[in-house]
Amino acid sequence: MKFLKRRQNLGESVLTFRLWRFTGSAILNLFIFILLTAYLAPLSYMFATSLKSPEQVSAGVMAPLYPATYLTYAYQDVKYSVMEVPTANGVQQWALVNKYRTYSEFVDPQNPDGGLIHWNGNWRTLKKVYVFSLAFEAFKQWQQANLPLGLLNTLIVITITEIGVLATSIAVAYGFSRFRIPGGRWLFFLLIATILIPDSITMVPTYITYANILHVWLPQQSYLDFSFPVPWNWLPLIAPHFFSSALFVFLLRQNFLSIPRDLDEAAMLDGAGPLRILIQIIMPQSIPVITTVAMLHFFYIWNEFRISSLYLGTNMDLWLLAPRLQRGGTMSFNLSPEPGIQAGALVLMIVPVLVLLVLQRFFMTDMVVTGLEK
Amino acid sequence: MTIEPPTYHLLHAQSKPNTIHPNAGLRRRETMIGLLFLSPWLLGFVLLKLLPIIYTLGYSFTNFSMMNPNGTAFIGLENYIRFVTDLTAWTKLFGSLGYFLTTVPLQLLVALGLAAMLSSHRVRLKPVWRLVIFVPSIIPAAAIYSVWLGFVNPSSGWLDRLILTPLGMPPLAQGNGGVPLLATVMALWSIGPGFLIMYGAMLGVPNDLYEAARIDGAGPLMRFLNITVPIISPAIFFSLVINLMGAFGGSMLLDRGYTFSEGSSISPMTGYINQIMFLQSDMGYASALAWVMFGVTMTITIILFRWAQRWVYFPEGNRNEIS
Repeated sequence: MKFLKRRQNLGESVLTFRLWRFTGSAILNLFIFILLTAYLAPLSYMFATSLKSPEQVSAGVMAPLYPATYLTYAYQDVKYSVMEVPTANGVQQWALVNKYRTYSEFVDPQNPDGGLIHWNGNWRTLKKVYVFSLAFEAFKQWQQANLPLGLLNTLIVITITEIGVLATSIAVAYGFSRFRIPGGRWLFFLLIATILIPDSITMVPTYITYANILHVWLPQQSYLDFSFPVPWNWLPLIAPHFFSSALFVFLLRQNFLSIPRDLDEAAMLDGAGPLRILIQIIMPQSIPVITTVAMLHFFYIWNEFRISSLYLGTNMDLWLLAPRLQRGGTMSFNLSPEPGIQAGALVLMIVPVLVLLVLQRFFMTDMVVTGLEK
Repeated sequence: MTIEPPTYHLLHAQSKPNTIHPNAGLRRRETMIGLLFLSPWLLGFVLLKLLPIIYTLGYSFTNFSMMNPNGTAFIGLENYIRFVTDLTAWTKLFGSLGYFLTTVPLQLLVALGLAAMLSSHRVRLKPVWRLVIFVPSIIPAAAIYSVWLGFVNPSSGWLDRLILTPLGMPPLAQGNGGVPLLATVMALWSIGPGFLIMYGAMLGVPNDLYEAARIDGAGPLMRFLNITVPIISPAIFFSLVINLMGAFGGSMLLDRGYTFSEGSSISPMTGYINQIMFLQSDMGYASALAWVMFGVTMTITIILFRWAQRWVYFPEGNRNEIS
């Protein structure tokens, strides 16, 4: 680079310099392209598998990697599968009519009038002839899974918890960033530490508590009781979000700290109270970070599975979208659940990806978490 | 130049904690309002974390079982003695530690490297790459397991059929040969939020700092280590915390849909605890194991936080506090 700069200074070859820069950029871009293609490579497996038929998945190594179906040939009104048969004249594609242990009888689809062809060998070693074909069976689990109800449930839970988690997290982050509290830094340390407490340690007592609450309040619950704001069985799913989320508090606090205090001090001198300062001064300046937190929470509930699987059990009416898609995949196929699982995952990803595409500019990147003051 | 608010002077003026200062009331009012704002978290901490942890400690000294809750009796340290002699538990615990030691640095370095590369002004199509890096973080766990099985399955997996067999290499070994690969895929496919936050922070670094360093003769690596890293250190710290959550088997920032059963958690110890809790219904022993896990994770957390105090830079210039 130094060498090139010197030459540029001499005015000898601006072109060489530009060419060098261009090559450098091209190599960098190519490198990123290859790297991220490799990063997403396993995604191709998801797409391919979701479009396969369960028969193909269970055929394993005998079937191709891409979605395909095997060829059949109707001989005398009965369908037989076409196999690749090695013969003296090269590999022939013949339909397998009669299977025996040491020999089999085939018919040539090109020449059906030629009658049965005798072939010596074990037919189990032969591969079926596959042609590219997409199977959409895996995407047809909508009927069993009742996805519209799942979507409704998910949207209700997201709306309620979004309000709770945003209001409480913003308040707590404001408390941590603007007030002098004795031992405040220890409280903040505690807040971060609570994020890292393994779930297993709080699970049993929490489970027993919820079980008791639900048992006392709802001895005979109806599963689709929308009379009170939410069916009470969603309590374990909703309640924790009304106590703020430590990670979101961390993000919000970091952003609040980078907002200069001049404005809130001016407002304070004008007689504004703490709540007013928060709503009218801090929050308008933190829209990117608040959007980010809202979206992170949206993604979280959208994929929620743990709490549902623990507390909702078999109350299918209350299931959110994600468990429906995932479980639906495993229930509806006896042969192989794989296409169902992959199709469910892909369908589930559509909405978050769309949200990301639309709100990408606001998501995380506009929210600056640095140690600098603005 | 900022104008100090009146309270600031008064707060600094107070020297001894026990002397009654004329403006102690003002300070107490600020504290009370602050605590009022903190109250949702404080309440949640007590109800959702502190009390359950204490209850679990209580259970760990009993033979409490879901099958027979009325036969619960105090059995002292028996559960912990059982743990000391339980070889499986130790294997799982070290498995968890190994998982933690490999994935957390890997995730952090890869995410940091990608963020540094993508923040270069020479890179085109940035929005696309950002999306590409983030999207795998929302793939449900069941799908990832299935992808992993499809890749490493001996003889019929994609790895064998697409890479190993055409190259004439020996096929994958039967059994658990692919577990490290699964851990790597899981770890790398979870870097989305951490990456985005570090990337966003890098874009926020003022350009004049780089210009000044360049004039002083600092190369790209020096500029990265001495300007970028210190300034975005809170973002790095946040990313570290997210990675730790995953490695400890806690709730993830983005729920992948893990269920509570054996083998469903990526952290072996968590899987083992879930197995004892839900399959064997042995709450007492599960609680004891959970407390062991709690002790280990909190020790690691405290060590890491102490270390973080040295390099995480927060505004207000106070480097001695974690906040």
